[in-house]
Amino acid sequence: MAILGPNGAGKSTTIRNIMGILYPDAGKITFSNYTDNSIPRHKIGYLPEERGLYKNVKVMDILLYLAELKDYPLDQAKQRALDYLKKFDLEGKEKVNVDELSKGMGQKVQFIASILHEPELLILDEPFSGLDPVSQELFKQEIRQLADNGTAILLSSHQMNLVEEMADRLFLIHRGKKVIYGHMDEVKKEFANFKCTIHGTNKKEELEQLPRVQRVEQENAHSIVYLYKDIDPVQWLKQLPDTLDVQELRLDRISLHEIFIDIATGKQLMQEVGEAYA
Amino acid sequence: MKHMRNSLKVAKWEIKRNLRNKTFIIGMFLTPLFIIGFMFLGELIGGDDEETEMTTVFIHDELGVFSEIEQTVAASNLSWQVMQTDVTEEEANKEVKNTEQTAYLFIDEESLTKGTIPAYTSEEMDASFMNQAQILSSPIQAWQLKELGLSNDQLAVVSRGIQIADVSANDETDTKDAKETAEESEIASLERIVPGAFAGFIMLSIVFTGMAIFQSASQEKKDKIAEIILSSLTPNDLMQGKIIGYFVLGIVQSIVSLVIVLPVLSWRLDIAFLDYLFVPELALYLMIAISGYLLFASIFVGVGATMTDMTTAGNFQGMVMMLPFLPFIFIGPVLSDPSGFMAQLGTYIPFTAPGVLLLRLSNLEEWPWLEIIISLAILIISIWIFVKLAGKIFKVGILMYGKNATPGEIWKWIRM
Repeated sequence: MAILGPNGAGKSTTIRNIMGILYPDAGKITFSNYTDNSIPRHKIGYLPEERGLYKNVKVMDILLYLAELKDYPLDQAKQRALDYLKKFDLEGKEKVNVDELSKGMGQKVQFIASILHEPELLILDEPFSGLDPVSQELFKQEIRQLADNGTAILLSSHQMNLVEEMADRLFLIHRGKKVIYGHMDEVKKEFANFKCTIHGTNKKEELEQLPRVQRVEQENAHSIVYLYKDIDPVQWLKQLPDTLDVQELRLDRISLHEIFIDIATGKQLMQEVGEAYA
Repeated sequence: MKHMRNSLKVAKWEIKRNLRNKTFIIGMFLTPLFIIGFMFLGELIGGDDEETEMTTVFIHDELGVFSEIEQTVAASNLSWQVMQTDVTEEEANKEVKNTEQTAYLFIDEESLTKGTIPAYTSEEMDASFMNQAQILSSPIQAWQLKELGLSNDQLAVVSRGIQIADVSANDETDTKDAKETAEESEIASLERIVPGAFAGFIMLSIVFTGMAIFQSASQEKKDKIAEIILSSLTPNDLMQGKIIGYFVLGIVQSIVSLVIVLPVLSWRLDIAFLDYLFVPELALYLMIAISGYLLFASIFVGVGATMTDMTTAGNFQGMVMMLPFLPFIFIGPVLSDPSGFMAQLGTYIPFTAPGVLLLRLSNLEEWPWLEIIISLAILIISIWIFVKLAGKIFKVGILMYGKNATPGEIWKWIRM
């Protein structure tokens, strides 16, 4: 599941509440029949947004210390650490001091630390920030594999394309309140309305007169016509007037990225979502 | 139970991390070497070199007390070579201008009448010479008393002086001579001073090592690992783990220092320290020392968590770091009067109580048990309060990035 929201929406605070680092002013946290303070933290893996490692210690030492804090058997942790270091192209780095690692390598070690103790729930706060495309792909593969093996994953990220690609469910918050929650397909069906992109010389007012048009954005000969959600795309295309100047035309759904921007900037969609959840 | 287990994991980590840190290891061995170095430096400055520091003292003796003077000087530790002379004061005055470490003393009827013995000394003569020369007043006064017609027995009584010694009802002290009494008194003193100094050393050692908690408390913030650690344990577990860890490191530092320093000290002072160390009083001394550490450690860990790192320590944090040095201002008053007002005051102030108590108890033959109990009660309550306050500060401070907390903010966290 992905947790999304603009900066300051409360994503990291929600995560910190789940991890017991901060305590909520109201409400309660439950995790497989456990509530608040009784939640077994060793069953949760956590990669925070604000992250680092002790500098002057060896990679294996810090991995084993963090596994020990999670009550994970050390011999098992050592073997898993070696396997993961190999998997993340860090073979032979176990005796290297953390401050000798590159930033990317450090992030890989942090990721390994969060999954070493075989958590039932893995919380990843901006796991891809600062990673090169190759490392991003490696992280994605590992996250998918963990999910396939039954680990529940809560992912917070601003990279919408990655969220769209990886998450089954979506939880979007704004100013500490839930705005959207549901399966990715349902959310897209519900909120990702169709938009028609037209290249051609057309007056904005004429485009706004078209049926079921929510709003029009225009820049020179490039127009984006946002449509209400209940349209039938084929029928809508059929009723376009002959006078329309069309050099190019594309009809597709608005992306998660656009939904996010609309919510973050408080555009019309936000009002619509508000109405839907009112 | 789980919390204690978590704290012990943190403690183990802090110990392991520091014992593998080259800076810590070097510091651990350098500390005792510095102590030894300062000991020898003190002796060098104080003057132990017989070749260069030997003072030649010429005595112009018209009274016939030279042999008594020779015996007095020989019995003392003075590096004096005493010789008789018959030069005049004028010649002596010329002579000292061309010599070093030389003095001429003129002892005659006239000088005794005036009450002042003229001394001519070299220009570079030690400033302490005139004080050392006062030792000669004893044989000269003895000569004066003899001149007054006192018998040898009367002289012995007058010159022995008076010593006040504690005599128990069933003790056989009255049958012992003064020498044995003095020896017993010295042993009793050593049995107080040696364990007291030992506990003081342990306390200073663990408190100074514990000052590293200041840095360690902000380490998780600096390395941005605070959230990862706090996702596995509570801030209190982390804080207590650090306190326990640095206590053990302080003990390790003390043991290393003592193993290196004690044999050197025993050799130089010719005292078998271990014979005087393991006395029942040691338990109380150590309890005071540990209380002192716990008090300062809880303050350090709390305030340390309010800083981004050591280099950004503000005035407030700097003042807190000076707290362990506070008992030093009580050293003078306590040594001059271990039961005086200042000594008692220092006993009841939590920050000075451990140091002042150790100093007082090492200097008092009769321990003021009521004051000790009140002082320990104040210490224990203070530790409890400071641990609670530190916990509140640490909990918020450890997650505050980018800036040092102001005293106002810290006050707000305490009230939360």
